[in-house]
Amino acid sequence: MTDHDHDHDHDHDRTAAPMVDEITDFEVLEIAVRELCIEKGLFTVEDHRRFTEFAEGIGPTPAAHMVARAWLNPDYKQLALADGLAASREVGVDWLNPTGFGTPSDFTLLHVLEDTPTLHHVVVCTLCSCYPRPILGNSPEWYRTPNYRRRIVRWPRQVLAEFGLYLPGDVAIRVEDSNQKHRFMVMPVRPDGTEDWDEDQLAEIVTRDCLIGVALPKVSVTTNAITDTRPAIHPADH
Amino acid sequence: MTTPSERVAQLDLMARLKSAFTDLPDAPTPDLIDHERFTAYMKTPHDVGGEPDAPIKFENKQYEVWELQTYVLCEVLAWRGIWVSEERRRIQNVDIGRTNYLGLPYYGRWLLAAARVLVEKHHITVGELTERLAEVKGRYEGGLEGKPLDAKPKFEGDGLEVKRNHHHTHAVGKGDPQVFSGQAGQQKFQVGDTVLVRDLPALFYTRTQEFVRGATGEIATVAYESLVAEDEAWDRHDQKPEWFYIVRFNLSQLWHGYTGADSDTLQTEIPERWLEAVAQA
Repeated sequence: MTDHDHDHDHDHDRTAAPMVDEITDFEVLEIAVRELCIEKGLFTVEDHRRFTEFAEGIGPTPAAHMVARAWLNPDYKQLALADGLAASREVGVDWLNPTGFGTPSDFTLLHVLEDTPTLHHVVVCTLCSCYPRPILGNSPEWYRTPNYRRRIVRWPRQVLAEFGLYLPGDVAIRVEDSNQKHRFMVMPVRPDGTEDWDEDQLAEIVTRDCLIGVALPKVSVTTNAITDTRPAIHPADH
Repeated sequence: MTTPSERVAQLDLMARLKSAFTDLPDAPTPDLIDHERFTAYMKTPHDVGGEPDAPIKFENKQYEVWELQTYVLCEVLAWRGIWVSEERRRIQNVDIGRTNYLGLPYYGRWLLAAARVLVEKHHITVGELTERLAEVKGRYEGGLEGKPLDAKPKFEGDGLEVKRNHHHTHAVGKGDPQVFSGQAGQQKFQVGDTVLVRDLPALFYTRTQEFVRGATGEIATVAYESLVAEDEAWDRHDQKPEWFYIVRFNLSQLWHGYTGADSDTLQTEIPERWLEAVAQA
């Protein structure tokens, strides 16, 4: 017993060294690859800076405004449903940016899915995490998990309930698996109690989660259904 | 890994990393692999739709510096014609293998794909990568200590000799898939047609999910013309584009034991080669 305790203390001494903020394997690899790319002339420092600026500027605000404007203006709603790219331009998003042929991974085709009182859409990409980045920003972590991608196509009502969204049986669910070049966003039904609201007020309640289809807009709710956030080791400013 | 005990400890850890049928030995003899097991091993690991899983806590996460940088790196490589995004998806989501696919962080796979494509396409050698990894690691010996995570290229190459793809100039001003418009010929199906998804043996890459193969659906939208993912994944821009369709499936018919409403549906996009007409009753 004493021997055991002795070993244990010894172990403890060895692991109680001061904490070092080590660089991670991913950080080393990213820096090494970026340096080699620049030295080989595959792209320039300026290219990288420009795309970073673009990436830091995207988020769900334009998509929320598209929905809010469509709720207020029937002509704009028709445009949004018929030509998502033209409707995007009117809320300040040109899908051909920043390369002239779009962001390479998002392609240039937006399909807006219109909910009705008897039809609710929810978006997934079962194969990776295809998502309309130019108008919604980067996808949330949960959207990329194998868990969400596995289950939403087979148990949509159960998964939506985990987000706090309980849909009655007379509302049909339509799961949109965004597996190729179309990108999708949901246009939810305008909630009651917003009759006199203007576009800015309406856009406030069209959260990212509403645009994916895991939540419905509600008067006085301006935050996503999922708010818990894991901290990064070395967080980006963005 | 520097000491004998560390080497043994790491091997012990490796031995617990399994992505195989545990009822079969490693490298089984041919008589132990039937069609179902072969199909399971060959299944592209990104194709997870419908796999059973228990609920987890859904949460957001902060971005690591390297994650944002990796996203930008991969997109800039495509912007400048080093790859198209489907080559990236093939490398990071399928070629990487099931163990790493499920075991590594999302952007870790993006990053490994970027490193790999540079080697595969002869832009760098593995030796250059190895030396640079060691050098970068050396810069941060003893920890970050407030030093920023920053690339320090020794110079900027002129890139004049770099081999670049067709797509990154060809699609400018048009977009993708618009760059393929008018090249697929006559479309085979119309909105409302009933179609069967062919149950083809899919080796190496596809974006037609296993869970819709053999299922009957209805054409909801005639979507666009494009190269198929099976060709774009190897940048085969010499191949002919084809029509894509959004196909609607009834979930209660798609899944045995579906417990939702009879009117619940799923839509997904499928290229023409994967579809065949069904005679309507």
